[in-house]
Amino acid sequence: MGRGSRWLGVAVGAVCVFLLLPIVVVILTAFNAGSYLRFPPQGFSLRWFVSFAHNSTFTSSFLFSLELAALATALAAVLGTLGALFAVRHAGRWANALRLLMVAPLELPAILTGVALLIFFYGIHLRTQGLMTLLIGHTLICIPFVFLAVSVVLTHFDTNLEEAARSLGADGWRTFLRVTLPLIKVGIVSGATLAFVSSFGEFPISLLLSGVQATPLPLQLFDYLRFSFDPTAAAVGTVNIALTVSVVLLTERWVGLESLYRGGRR
Amino acid sequence: MAVFFVAPYANMLLISFLTPGSGQPYALPFTLANYARSVTDAFNWRVLWNTCWYAALTAAICLVLAYPLAYRLARARGRAKAALLVIVLSPLLLDVVIRSYGWMILLADNGLINQLLRKLGLHPVQLMYNAFGVVVGLTHVFLPFMVLSLLGSLETLNPDIELAARSLGARGWQAFWRVVWPLSLPGVFAGTVLVFVLAASSYVIPSLLGENAVLTMPLLIAQRVLTVFNWPSGAALAMFMSVFVLGLVGVYAVLMNRAMRGLR
Repeated sequence: MGRGSRWLGVAVGAVCVFLLLPIVVVILTAFNAGSYLRFPPQGFSLRWFVSFAHNSTFTSSFLFSLELAALATALAAVLGTLGALFAVRHAGRWANALRLLMVAPLELPAILTGVALLIFFYGIHLRTQGLMTLLIGHTLICIPFVFLAVSVVLTHFDTNLEEAARSLGADGWRTFLRVTLPLIKVGIVSGATLAFVSSFGEFPISLLLSGVQATPLPLQLFDYLRFSFDPTAAAVGTVNIALTVSVVLLTERWVGLESLYRGGRR
Repeated sequence: MAVFFVAPYANMLLISFLTPGSGQPYALPFTLANYARSVTDAFNWRVLWNTCWYAALTAAICLVLAYPLAYRLARARGRAKAALLVIVLSPLLLDVVIRSYGWMILLADNGLINQLLRKLGLHPVQLMYNAFGVVVGLTHVFLPFMVLSLLGSLETLNPDIELAARSLGARGWQAFWRVVWPLSLPGVFAGTVLVFVLAASSYVIPSLLGENAVLTMPLLIAQRVLTVFNWPSGAALAMFMSVFVLGLVGVYAVLMNRAMRGLR
């Protein structure tokens, strides 16, 4: 191990600090007593969390975002899994085209998808701006994550297992429930985790499709930050961070973190 | 999927050819005027140029920062690898607005960095609401994508290749520059394209960290659609931007291909 590897270590450390710095700063600000962060910090306080809990626009947005992310994730889990099953097993020569289509929402700029959806909803007279339109938009963004993760698992899938189940007398539906589903669970769960997290943090789609009654949290936070630096936003952020971390940890417990990274890779 | 994805995009393409209406967002007849205006307006070109410039700068900085990390990660095993992976991936999972807020606390006029500068007796500098802040924010958000792309091609690389190069007399830098770097070019290509496209279409960061000092294409499009309510114009601009960015990526792909062939 020469000088080269020491420099490499320093560079890696510096980049890691760069990656984590803003997040650490948000958390510090949230627990800091002063109205803006300075060094040294002015003591520990939970007042910004209390302020968050008393701020009904923030709490209702928070709950709304949770609801939206949960619904979109559930829909995307079903549609993405079905899509992956179809693309890998039955699509034949259309498989590549289908794959491209299913992943497209991830690759096209979300802001364009938002504009397109907004204009489209107006065109078909769907009452724009509400849970329904947001849900469609978010589901669209979530599908690719599940689709990709399940596809990865399916390509390594040993179909002999299904045939064994069939030959032992299980019908098609039972084979799917007792054999196929448990085996692709890893893909579904890791895809759904990414879907949930990205729906919870999704911004451009929400910007274009949300209404007065239904404002997801990132949008609320964004509006807030344009006018003030108040650490209440940091408290909101910290709660968000805690939520994301716990979702990821739960997934890690369930299927392992490595799968999240393997399955979720673009 | 077909209904809610393909149809809206087709619809947007259609509407980009319609005339902006007075009472409603769009009206007949069909026209090319939206495109003509998008393409001939010097202001649009300047915004587009800015957008692409920030995106390219972000991709370049990401590449420089991500390479050592990906290199280390490709050679790490077990716990060290898991820990590094968590550090790289966790920012990816957090809301972009919150990460921008973190940078706002750091970069603001009376933010942490400027407080530090004052304490050291130096002049405070404007770090935010300008291009600098925007590029810092973009780099931070898209760095993980670059690391993952590079990791993809560095991981498949057999570490023995580097040892072989060294045993044949190459020095550390030489072994890297002549052997590892050329073999990682597919990852470099994938990562830079991904970061460029993502950065060019980012909305939150330029608007929070740039405020009114920085105008990029996504901001302009959203403004046309949401504030000015000129949907045909917004749709035409959106198409214009997509085609331009895709074209740039195409040119880049050709250049990159030539570079890769030259090395072989």
